[in-house]
Amino acid sequence: MTIVIGFEGSANKIGVGIIKDGEVLSNPRRTYITPPGQGFMPSDTARHHRAVILTILKEALDEAGLKPQDIDCVAYTKGPGMGAPLVTVALVARTVAQLWDKPLLGVNHCIGHIEMGRLITKAHNPTVLYVSGGNTQVIAYSERRYRIFGETIDIAVGNCLDRFARVIKISNDPSPGYNIEQMAKKGTQYVELPYTVKGMDVSFSGILSYIEETLFSMLVEITERAMAHCGSQEVLIVGGVGCNLRLQEMMGVMCEERGAKLFSTDERFCIDNGAMIAQAGWEMFRSGQVTELEDSWITQRFRTDEVEVTWRA
Amino acid sequence: SSLDVPFPSSREALIALRSLSPDKEPRKGGISKEITVKDNTLSRWSADEARILRVSVNSFMDHLLLVLETMEMFSLPVSQ
Repeated sequence: MTIVIGFEGSANKIGVGIIKDGEVLSNPRRTYITPPGQGFMPSDTARHHRAVILTILKEALDEAGLKPQDIDCVAYTKGPGMGAPLVTVALVARTVAQLWDKPLLGVNHCIGHIEMGRLITKAHNPTVLYVSGGNTQVIAYSERRYRIFGETIDIAVGNCLDRFARVIKISNDPSPGYNIEQMAKKGTQYVELPYTVKGMDVSFSGILSYIEETLFSMLVEITERAMAHCGSQEVLIVGGVGCNLRLQEMMGVMCEERGAKLFSTDERFCIDNGAMIAQAGWEMFRSGQVTELEDSWITQRFRTDEVEVTWRA
Repeated sequence: SSLDVPFPSSREALIALRSLSPDKEPRKGGISKEITVKDNTLSRWSADEARILRVSVNSFMDHLLLVLETMEMFSLPVSQ
């Protein structure tokens, strides 16, 4: 039996999760929500995380009914992400690892999403679409690496939606993407030109449908191309944008046409959380990896394919 | 300039040292920060220019405070 605690806080969510051999024992999380029209800045986000991280850690232990002595390994997000929030989380992880005399393990955030998705959906060897506020990648496993088959050449899909939400002052509560999804559902027609003026009023829901449809079509196309390349019959969608039901629906149509199977998770595990870092940490720790304190620096850039996957054949 | 922080014991000072040391200063060049421990005192040494000293020390204090709070809440009972 191996129990791993995971700390995540690379963007505006902060979470601590505990995993015992594939079972999520606890996974509390908070979100730093900014007013409409405002994004989250690194130093304000770090301040939010500092204010709540110890409360969340206590919640995670209490909910799991565990004492620090029961933990086998302390995992935390090494990167990629925003520097100041990453440092906040790493400081607490390093300190408790020393106080409890447990090994420390730095985890790649993207690998966390992939391993959590695999655990929850039981997808065996999927082509992975990883879509969030900071990342857009199509990934497939081959010879001890999660290889990136395609990615955005500029901004992430979630960042595109977030920025648009900011421009038209859509609420950031619970998240801009969720609110866009709800508004886009109300759009009745797909507009060719994103320009909708009615008298003195403007309508944005049509534009939102248009934006969602266009972005998601592009993602489905590159995922399908990666599947054809790898001969894969499984797709796993992970990351914060992955809980968008319209994206899941469009991907589902493509999968059905190819006779492939679609796997996705809900907002508990799609959106950044501590358990995903615990789960990737669990796999890494069981395959013999640990991170020495002096090597435990955080890094804002950390590509998915830099990590040697020592836990898969 | 140096900033000295006394701890109850050298063990705690060393834990703070190892927690605070791994991350590099975000600024490129021009800053020289070093953290050391002697007995039960942790010291932060730097040769910052006055205009960046405040920001650099503020950030260090935020980090130090978080480490101290973590110790306070999550230290195990000491076995004799």
